[in-house]
Amino acid sequence: MKIENEDALDDLIICHQCHTLHEEVPIQDGSKALCRECGTVLYRYDSKLIDHGLALSLTALIFFALANLFPIVKIELLGHEQFITIPKTFMTLFEQGFYIVGLLCAFLIFLFPLMVFTLYTAVFLLLKLRRGRQLTKELLVLLSYALKWNMSDIFLISILVALVKLIGYAQIDMGVAFWALLVYVAIDIYLTKQIHLSEIWMLRKRIYEEQER
Amino acid sequence: MKELKEDAVVRCPVCEAVNLKKGQKMQCRRCDAWIETDPKVSLSKSWAYLITAMIAYIPANLYPMLITKQFGTTQESTIIGGVLQLWEHGSYPIAAIIFFASIMIPILKFLILIYLLISVKYPIGKDRKINKHKLYYMTELAGPWSMIDVFVVAILAALIHLSHIEIIAGTAATAFALSVFFTLLAAHAFDESLIKENR
Repeated sequence: MKIENEDALDDLIICHQCHTLHEEVPIQDGSKALCRECGTVLYRYDSKLIDHGLALSLTALIFFALANLFPIVKIELLGHEQFITIPKTFMTLFEQGFYIVGLLCAFLIFLFPLMVFTLYTAVFLLLKLRRGRQLTKELLVLLSYALKWNMSDIFLISILVALVKLIGYAQIDMGVAFWALLVYVAIDIYLTKQIHLSEIWMLRKRIYEEQER
Repeated sequence: MKELKEDAVVRCPVCEAVNLKKGQKMQCRRCDAWIETDPKVSLSKSWAYLITAMIAYIPANLYPMLITKQFGTTQESTIIGGVLQLWEHGSYPIAAIIFFASIMIPILKFLILIYLLISVKYPIGKDRKINKHKLYYMTELAGPWSMIDVFVVAILAALIHLSHIEIIAGTAATAFALSVFFTLLAAHAFDESLIKENR
């Protein structure tokens, strides 16, 4: 492989699973390029990436707000009604003195999930307005860290496991927030699978280069 | 025009941009993140996190994970105790999930990371057949699922606190959460480009 200058490195991509070096080739709208060694998706091309991304991340934010404001589950135990919300889950840990676990949970199931989609929305919005070249860079760096630590999907499964443990002891009612969380997790999985961060970086480069001309 | 070889480039761990290798510590040309190309640093960081995680895993198994206070009697259950209890109650799927998430995945992850860390430094002839990239990718994917047990304890503790029935998290919850946290850090610190086989 040959390159002329540092800028030409942007036409290269290293597979994130097997570290094979590839040269990027233009592909059709809506299709994807696979690694020749291990078959992992290297990149996709979507001409409406900003609009798709913005729509999905805004929807996710709305559902995340719903998931936090309303009870996830209500149970009736010995005539007493109890419910939990996402903030209440880690606040109880704080009240019981489990500060480390409480802090970890607060970050993993509340702060990072919130950050991921706030950052996605901000980045896509800035790219759509063609503004904030430096700011998008910093937001994207932050996003790459937040994405690794978003555990809302695992929290969703944990709710189900916890409820199965309670079957037979208490009457269980699913709250609105549970379904909102389900939608949020579905969008989260879809978005992180469909849109690689490197595609947003490439889009950012194209947009601001056009602007400079 | 410049000839480019595969080991002359490095992928930025933050933004995935392809960079030319320039010395041991360099900044990514796209996102300015620091890229460490010295294998020693990544290996010793990974070892340090992994050893911390393994130490934290010991109290996680010895101390109670869940304390149930019911009409004056207190019942404590450890991770393994909880799994056995669920199995006896007949909730086999849940027992299996907890067993996989809290016992199988952490231990497998320790073993796989130890194997990877040793094998990138001292390659043995036979392990060329094992797809280490896939192995690493699987641990990366399965790792966070160990948190299930901690979340379940948090949910139960938040949900059940009546005057005569109460569930409280145990000491093991802290130890276990820290153990999972440090295993994740160890996996993130490991530099995959050190794996040279299966190209």
